[in-house]
Amino acid sequence: MALLTRESDHSMLMLLKGSKVDRLLLCVSLLAIVISWFVIQSRIAAGPAVAEIYHGQVLLATYPLPQPGEAAQRLHIEGELGTSEVLLDQEGVRIVSSPCTTQHCVQSGVHRHAGDMIACVPNRILITVRGKSASTYDAIVE
Amino acid sequence: MIPRPSLSELERKGQWLALLLLAIGLHVFEAALPSLGPWFKPGLANLVTLLVLVLMGPRAAIALAIGRVVVGSFFIGTLFTPTFVVSMAGGLAAAMVMIMAWRCIPGISLIGISLLAALAHMLAQFITVESLFIQQSALYYALPPLLLLSCITGWINGALARYISARLTDEL
Repeated sequence: MALLTRESDHSMLMLLKGSKVDRLLLCVSLLAIVISWFVIQSRIAAGPAVAEIYHGQVLLATYPLPQPGEAAQRLHIEGELGTSEVLLDQEGVRIVSSPCTTQHCVQSGVHRHAGDMIACVPNRILITVRGKSASTYDAIVE
Repeated sequence: MIPRPSLSELERKGQWLALLLLAIGLHVFEAALPSLGPWFKPGLANLVTLLVLVLMGPRAAIALAIGRVVVGSFFIGTLFTPTFVVSMAGGLAAAMVMIMAWRCIPGISLIGISLLAALAHMLAQFITVESLFIQQSALYYALPPLLLLSCITGWINGALARYISARLTDEL
């Protein structure tokens, strides 16, 4: 308690430093996060890039992300509130329109990297990306 | 005759209400910020919960966490929607973890408490969504980068809370 209230040094650097216990907690948290990140990435980054579309408990479909030169796909997914429109193109996967009020899913934009996710909680739609991300470029020349 | 509350009691309630209004304002402000990712916010409203815990105790902190989610959700139009449930779970989990860390971990400062609260907030949101709305473990794929951001915002908010509480306790 005394530690919490007896603050005399107001310099920003000292304020950001934290106690030994704080730093220990930060190190343990960072270690756990980094390890779990590597474990998850190693599981989902293999294979070609695909988008998995879920509604609640059900996996509705798995679509490969279109490669350069392939046609875009427009999907209509029935959720809890209504129809969400999903666009799969060379840039990745995105929700184009949603019946939810917050519209966070639409605003989150395009996703194409393994582990990326679009979740529309009100409409109970989840889209995840698995596999190696396809390049957004046809070719890079010098 | 209704007994009159003492002046100090009224002053304490007034301070709590002022902090509640601040937390509601921050809740609404954060909802208006451009989305940095699913459910990711800077967590400024939790900073107020932390200040109330230190200045007024655990009961006031829990009451503030509940009050700001209910009234804040009312203003942003998400009251009793899934977004509200997720917000409430995150806010309450953060407040509970703050209280436990404050009471049980010797040597921890407001920075450590804020760090643990930010992580608890994020975890509680994912667990709530996974158990109630989208029952897919694939949700957790997105958790590590968001927890990393929570570490940063939790640490900064804790430093801010230290500064503010030091100034308030000097002046009060």
